[in-house]
Amino acid sequence: MSQLAFSNLSKAFGSFKVFDGLSLAAEAGEIVVIFGSSGTGKTFLLRLIAGVEEPTTGTIEIGGRDVTEIPPEQRNVGMAFQNFALFPHMSARENIASPLRAAHADEATVESGVSRVAKLLKIDHVLGHAPRELSNGQKQRTALARALAAEPRILLLDDPLRNVDAKLRFEMRLELPRLLRQSGATVLYVTQDYKEAMALADRIAVLAGGRFVQVGTPEEIYMAPSTLGVAKLFGDPSINTLETRLSADGMWVAIRGKDIRIDKAAKLGGREVILGVRPEAVALTQSQVGLPATVMAVTPLNERVVLLLESDGGWEFLASLPSAAADIPEPNTRLSVTFAAEGVHLFDPTTGERLHG
Amino acid sequence: MGELVLSKLDKVYRSKRTSVHAVKSFDLTVKPGEIVALLGSSGCGKTSTLRMIAGFEEVTSGSISLDGRVIHTLSPSQRGVAMAFEAYSLYPPLTIGENIAFALKAARLPAAQQQILVKNIAEMLEIAGILNRYPSSVSGGQQQRASLGRALVRKASLYLLDEPMGQLEPQLRAVLRGRIKHFLRENNCTTILVTHDQTEANALADRIAVMEGGVLQQYATPAELKARPANLFTGAFIGEPPMNIFDAKITAAAREIRFDIEGGVSLAYPVSDFSPDVQRLIAGRREVALGIRPHAFHIGNGALRGKVISCQWLGDQTHVAVDIGGRTVVSVSHARVDKQPGNEIGLSALAADLHIFDAETGRAVAHGGSPA
Amino acid sequence: MDHTSTFERILRGILLALVVLFFMFPIFWILLMSFQTNESILRMPPSVFFTPTFDNYIALVTGEMRTAAGSLQLNFMQNLWNSVLLSTTSVAVALVLGVPAAYAFARFKFRLGEDIAFTLLSFRFAPPLLVLLPLSLYFKSLGLTNTYIGLIWVYQLICLPLILWIVRGYFEDLSPDIEHAHRIAGYSWFQTFRKIAVPLALPGIAAAGLLAFIFSWNNFVFALVLASADKQPVTVGALAFVTASGIQYGQIAAAIVMSVIPTFVLAMFAQRYLVEGLSLGAVKG
Repeated sequence: MSQLAFSNLSKAFGSFKVFDGLSLAAEAGEIVVIFGSSGTGKTFLLRLIAGVEEPTTGTIEIGGRDVTEIPPEQRNVGMAFQNFALFPHMSARENIASPLRAAHADEATVESGVSRVAKLLKIDHVLGHAPRELSNGQKQRTALARALAAEPRILLLDDPLRNVDAKLRFEMRLELPRLLRQSGATVLYVTQDYKEAMALADRIAVLAGGRFVQVGTPEEIYMAPSTLGVAKLFGDPSINTLETRLSADGMWVAIRGKDIRIDKAAKLGGREVILGVRPEAVALTQSQVGLPATVMAVTPLNERVVLLLESDGGWEFLASLPSAAADIPEPNTRLSVTFAAEGVHLFDPTTGERLHG
Repeated sequence: MGELVLSKLDKVYRSKRTSVHAVKSFDLTVKPGEIVALLGSSGCGKTSTLRMIAGFEEVTSGSISLDGRVIHTLSPSQRGVAMAFEAYSLYPPLTIGENIAFALKAARLPAAQQQILVKNIAEMLEIAGILNRYPSSVSGGQQQRASLGRALVRKASLYLLDEPMGQLEPQLRAVLRGRIKHFLRENNCTTILVTHDQTEANALADRIAVMEGGVLQQYATPAELKARPANLFTGAFIGEPPMNIFDAKITAAAREIRFDIEGGVSLAYPVSDFSPDVQRLIAGRREVALGIRPHAFHIGNGALRGKVISCQWLGDQTHVAVDIGGRTVVSVSHARVDKQPGNEIGLSALAADLHIFDAETGRAVAHGGSPA
Repeated sequence: MDHTSTFERILRGILLALVVLFFMFPIFWILLMSFQTNESILRMPPSVFFTPTFDNYIALVTGEMRTAAGSLQLNFMQNLWNSVLLSTTSVAVALVLGVPAAYAFARFKFRLGEDIAFTLLSFRFAPPLLVLLPLSLYFKSLGLTNTYIGLIWVYQLICLPLILWIVRGYFEDLSPDIEHAHRIAGYSWFQTFRKIAVPLALPGIAAAGLLAFIFSWNNFVFALVLASADKQPVTVGALAFVTASGIQYGQIAAAIVMSVIPTFVLAMFAQRYLVEGLSLGAVKG
């Protein structure tokens, strides 16, 4: 039985539909990341589940019980907000204690509960401080501690790392999985950073246009994106695309006048496709079989190097190589490239749907 | 196209009670056609420097010259400088196209030529479709690209770009970085790029000037900054994920040099891994700060043993965090690595990948086998 | 960059001093008058030198006024008490009714919500004289004439809109996420209102309450028409000093000083709240 399930969830304001028929079930202890660009209603979905907003249609079940009509205080969920939403007139300790006090826990239970999560999140030294005296990182940890304090069965995290600096975000990203597993809660985690999504998720639900376009493990989403849109959202640099046509046997694809072997599904032979090639699947070769191209610019990206290339027919695309690779070419170098099969994806030009397994 | 020279540049902001020394005796030479990034966190003095070069801020002392001409006494319009502003600063009553063409019009270029220039720049920046729209009706990312276009379309001796790509749509960023770098190089544009984002600086710049507390920390190519950071600050600041830094005790024996790290683990190398110069530099020291970049670790059975905290695959790389002696050590692999949290693994690094810093001053002592 | 020259600074000082003098002088003069007899007040030319006397205050407190024409009974202390009672109770009632209403208007969007809120505010626009005649008729038939309850009711016309609009602005400035967080932590909406919304809007509530108090205190017309001497506040009571044998300036001054003191002390005490409350809440609302 799933710990959290919602089905056919819709929300509309007048004629404007935020989302339409969302369904998802999450097991106990599972971390599901709701991923989407800004304005897709991710935060709103969390609010529906928390109960501070009401759905237009659909049902929400927590632990098998229908909670759609139940007010937020009786749902046994914890939530951390993007803007932290700490109670400004209470100390960090009282903030964290608030869910325990709401359950009428005795003083000793409150004390031990607060110190447990405070230790876990390394904020036990600032418990006496008011929120305004905390650094951004401490605020964020206090907000997480408050969400965890009452050991809720459902944990809703609304882009909790959005408002902390890059270094802290990175550290928390490494720390969070362990923390969340320890809590044992079913986690819905909202983010618009694909790296965060891949790093934290057991499963990712990609929200776009008011529905889940794909729900799957990070591996499924990255290696087999269900639509062109999903493929573009995951990966930095983003996937290269080109509208083209497959050869009759489906083994070759024409790239601005040059046929390149891609070894994909034969049954798609002859049809119009959108070709997607991940930048890290572009390999430089000396041989003549590849696609001739010119290096336009070399732009290092962390420990990788991104090349802007232009094929002889004028197709502009990116390649991403480890910066330790032996021969990073100079700008204006002429070279050939081939594509590694696992980084090549074919999509329907009209629907954007994935065309192969 | 010009050579920019900043010499002994100082900026002091005085108010009634306090004075802030924002830029301290800053020397910098930008060669003609070079792209230089001023990189630092907020308050490091990079924006003050940019504003002095543009002429929005007076120079407290020192001088700025461009093409051999002293410019810091001139008004902004006389300096021959084009600038893209962080806050876009587009003219609201003009369309995107008119904004971009503004300086061309002022320079009385023939209309046909204006059109071609604007069209080319707009195509490069993917805003050709919105040239007739007004700034208020397009997104932040599009406004930022228009502001960039307005600066790049001009012929100027120097281009100043203030956080030019912060708002760009993630899916466009990599391509635009490549196109802009290509454009600046083809047109031989001398460029100063101000940013707090090292990804931006690394991608675009030929050389990076790292600033902190108003002081230039290091001025070098991106590759040099990574391989040979001048001090602990640049070492820790440059690189993503950041460098792991350990307090280490050095024991130099006849055969091996050992680094004892907090938490009871140590790394040992044959003496021959270090050049005689480095051996001499190390000989007198007991404590150093030892830096190892996440990518330099080999994940497997090395001497730095600990339990896996998390193992996160991001598509083109894997981040593995390991608890070693109570602290989190980060290693990164370009390949896909599958390690279960809680399992014990060992990390190792080659002597060539060690960065040794003075424990007191933070100055670099040696990088890999050779002295700093 | 600081461009202020010495000249500018001196000029600014002089101008500020003039403004202060202009506004403070009447208060200062009233204070002086309250310690003088009618004769010394009315002498020509006026002077700041005189022999101070407490007679005016004594007369007010004892309730006995001696004039050239003889002795007269006063109930100034009763008036003062009426003012305190009416203003305090009115503000208290308005807070009890207005704060939850303001919260409702700020947080819940319901049909006609905006219209109701605006109608309530419009009570402030209408000149009191416009409603006085019908009101006095109603009051007669309801038996509310010359009762505290009747006056407190009418004073809601002054207090309620003020509190509603200032406090509403304050509630709207609070992030709903903070209240959501409290609900999710396990509290009912009423507990959230009490423990989160009200404490966080307290500066606004205090400012609105204070303003409402001052407006009620200064009200003249409602009490003049709807109540008789024993229920009237000081503003109306001061009329008693205009006697058949002349105007008792000294006692008027003393009465003004005594009636100003409560609001003055309150305003000084809560100056910070007042400025904050007015600029933050009301402007946005």
